Amino acid sequence: MTTASASATTGTPAPVPEKRGKPWLALLVAGAFEVGYALSVNGSAGFTDPLWSSIAVVFFLFTLFFLSVALKKIDVGVGYAVWAGIGAIGAAVLGPVFFDETLTPLKAFWLAVVIAGVVWLKLADSPKLDGPKPARAETDTTS
Amino acid sequence: MSWLYLAVAVVFEAAVGISAGNADGFKKLWWTVATLVSGAIATLFLSLALLTFDVGVGYALWTSLAGVGIVVIGAGFLSQKLTWKKLLGIAIVIGGVVGLNLAGAS
Repeated sequence: MTTASASATTGTPAPVPEKRGKPWLALLVAGAFEVGYALSVNGSAGFTDPLWSSIAVVFFLFTLFFLSVALKKIDVGVGYAVWAGIGAIGAAVLGPVFFDETLTPLKAFWLAVVIAGVVWLKLADSPKLDGPKPARAETDTTS
Repeated sequence: MSWLYLAVAVVFEAAVGISAGNADGFKKLWWTVATLVSGAIATLFLSLALLTFDVGVGYALWTSLAGVGIVVIGAGFLSQKLTWKKLLGIAIVIGGVVGLNLAGAS
């Protein structure tokens, strides 16, 4: 009988996705640079290798820059959680690829526990998520 | 010795987190300077720790224990609430660190 005329959620042609996507892209880039930072710090061999040491410094500055760009729009707790998660998982997975390291299932399990713990901790530290009202994680950002 | 290096790296990484949080998008000069100086010291000691630790293990220990440090400092000195959620996060991290040790990963 009723013509489901409006699907209730659509209808406003707003260019929101693009604006909302950019901070998240910056966050992913920051996470990628953080993985590169971890690997190059390891490759620097205690900052005795000049090439890897220089790369580590550059990656450090890039990850800080992109993280600060992302956190202008993304909630700090959520942003740090995603960033820390990408960095730690990336380092754990790519470490054995680039260096003479092994990742046994037992080690991977406990690493996952540690990483889950820090991601949870960052989320719990979010003033927004921990606020009095159960606000959605993605409320409108007035850009 | 590697644990000592890691501990120093963790302290300065926690300082990075707190400084960066106060730098307001790196608009405040001295908090920005504090972020960069702390970051340099943290990075140096992390690299020394990683001479012994695998990068995956060392990095995870470093970033997670610094995260615990930031919450503990926030609760102890910056009058932030220590909620049960934060305590649970700290417990999970510490449990994981102990597990990694028992697994002989570090």
